[in-house]
Amino acid sequence: MINVKNLYHSYNNDEQFAVKDASFEIPDGEIFGFLGPSGAGKSTTQGILTGLLPLQQGEVTVAGFDIKSIKRNMFNKIGMSFEQSNVYSKMTAKENLDFYKKLFDVETRDSEELLKLVGLDGKENVRAGEFSKGMKHRLTFARSMLNNPELWFLDEPTTGLDPAIAADIKDIIHQQNEKGVTIFLTTHNMYIADELCDRVAFIIDGEIKLIDSPKKLKLAYGEQLVEVEYQKNGDIATETFSTVLEDDKKRLQDVIAKHEIQSMHTKEATLEEIFIKVTGRGLA
Amino acid sequence: MKLWHSFTKELMLASRSFYFYIEIVMAGIFLFLLLFAIPKNFDGRQDEYLYYDVPDSAWEYFEDELLTADEDGLVEMVEIELDDEIILGSLYQADTSNFYVIDDQELAIALADKERTFAGVVHMDELGEITYTYYMQGYETERLLNTYAVFHNEKMEVLKDAFQAVDVRALHEDQVLLSDRENVVPSFLTFNGSLMGMFILAAYIFLDKKEGVIKAYAVTTSPVWHYLLSKVGVVTVTSLVTSLIITLPVMGGQPNYPAMFVFLLTTGFAASALGLVLASFYDDLIQAFGVIFVFIIVMMLPNISYFIPTWDPAWMQYIPSYTILEGFKEILLPGGDITYVLFASLGFFAAGLLLFLFANSRFKKTLTI
Repeated sequence: MINVKNLYHSYNNDEQFAVKDASFEIPDGEIFGFLGPSGAGKSTTQGILTGLLPLQQGEVTVAGFDIKSIKRNMFNKIGMSFEQSNVYSKMTAKENLDFYKKLFDVETRDSEELLKLVGLDGKENVRAGEFSKGMKHRLTFARSMLNNPELWFLDEPTTGLDPAIAADIKDIIHQQNEKGVTIFLTTHNMYIADELCDRVAFIIDGEIKLIDSPKKLKLAYGEQLVEVEYQKNGDIATETFSTVLEDDKKRLQDVIAKHEIQSMHTKEATLEEIFIKVTGRGLA
Repeated sequence: MKLWHSFTKELMLASRSFYFYIEIVMAGIFLFLLLFAIPKNFDGRQDEYLYYDVPDSAWEYFEDELLTADEDGLVEMVEIELDDEIILGSLYQADTSNFYVIDDQELAIALADKERTFAGVVHMDELGEITYTYYMQGYETERLLNTYAVFHNEKMEVLKDAFQAVDVRALHEDQVLLSDRENVVPSFLTFNGSLMGMFILAAYIFLDKKEGVIKAYAVTTSPVWHYLLSKVGVVTVTSLVTSLIITLPVMGGQPNYPAMFVFLLTTGFAASALGLVLASFYDDLIQAFGVIFVFIIVMMLPNISYFIPTWDPAWMQYIPSYTILEGFKEILLPGGDITYVLFASLGFFAAGLLLFLFANSRFKKTLTI
């Protein structure tokens, strides 16, 4: 669905590249996470892929269209949910969606159905200017689904939302993906990336440092440990055992055999820990 | 069709915005001024106070001269207020001046002083020699002072011969002039239709930039130029409406409305496209205010030569609003030069198109994320 080869971008047309030699491919139906801190080059890459920024150097095809000379009908196939809510504040929620519906050449979804989907039912005739930040964000998110996109760009889709709404948004993303929609997710939130993405790319200072699935990354970079809480002489004792080292394995078996186990957890590395390990920088 | 949807959406947004009502209110204020504050024709006659210190027989001669100059050949007795005093005078209304003859020299000079105008004292001595004394206010031109000096140093016959030797021929015998009130309308139309259009369009764009909706538009199948043209369309429609609010009650059916429609469309298009170009370089109105202000001031300069035709430097004619003013004047005049209007329209359309294309390329490049 997306092919990027040796992509470079400089805002000042100099050697200060915001994106440097980025190459990746995203097959149909995948949720691809673009993970990096602010200013890493995530939004720049997404801007080029969506035609908001000109392609300066490299080869990019999106949904079968060469980005070098964008055809407007490409936008029938893609949807874009922006990090910053950008809706007409003087128009109602429904008017906003109804207007954008008319700007596509393909069958579009019903505005009221979409508003209901994102929890804005009952607010159809309220001007967006009266909405809270979270409600505007949901309206922006709903708008990105209007044209039933095959490729869906999501920029920080759960930012600023309360946990319950964020969970609903994640469910919608899952549902769309199950229908075959390819998703390009830009975020600095490791939890949403871990939860949703089939593969993630770590980008820092404009360079992609690594691309893999969260599961493989955890296996490759995480330490395989088990934390056990058990009763010992009337007290609760806590010990951590390696599941790889022979001595630890024997000791773990011994503890299980001789003591009453209170709890036992595998300890795997988080994506953030792996990101720090790989890039030497945090995601904040 | 998408362009139409964008246009109707912009109309809806404009009707819900503050700037739209600024234009309507401005047009209302202009109309109020035209109907109630600006007289149909200004009385441009200068008041002059005269005192004649001459014998009765000589006064008869001067009075005959004054009555000849008077529009209706009749003297009017008037009361003039000076501080708390009421002064009686005789008024003779000539083409260019109101002559007040006062019976007291001091009072005549005091009245002129109060009005910052001209006083003249005509004195005849015992030998029959006439002396003219003029009381000026200091702002009179050297040329006027010289004229007075020449007037009394040359023999009247010589001057009369010189005046009569000048051959004056009217080039247009059937020339119809606008009244002073109607003459102000082109200035209002230029300001309200074109200059405000540039400012309002930039304001609309800055509102959208603030809301980020241009980016959302850019990821639809509708090209960015649709978005820009729909904005221009709304500004142009508003300028048509506000121009009619001003013109219809003042001018009635006199103007050439089809030509006015074309001229408003093309000048509005050019001014709006200029507003687009300006808006493409800045993020908000505060940043752009200085440049927009300079543009508006420069564009208003031709008003000076429009109302004071004696000051009409050649460079002024290169300012587009000069042509706009002249174009509107031709439209309002019965039998005005419509060829001039159409050629000017063509020029504004071409200039607007170039500016619009430039603005479009700027907006495509600056949809930063």
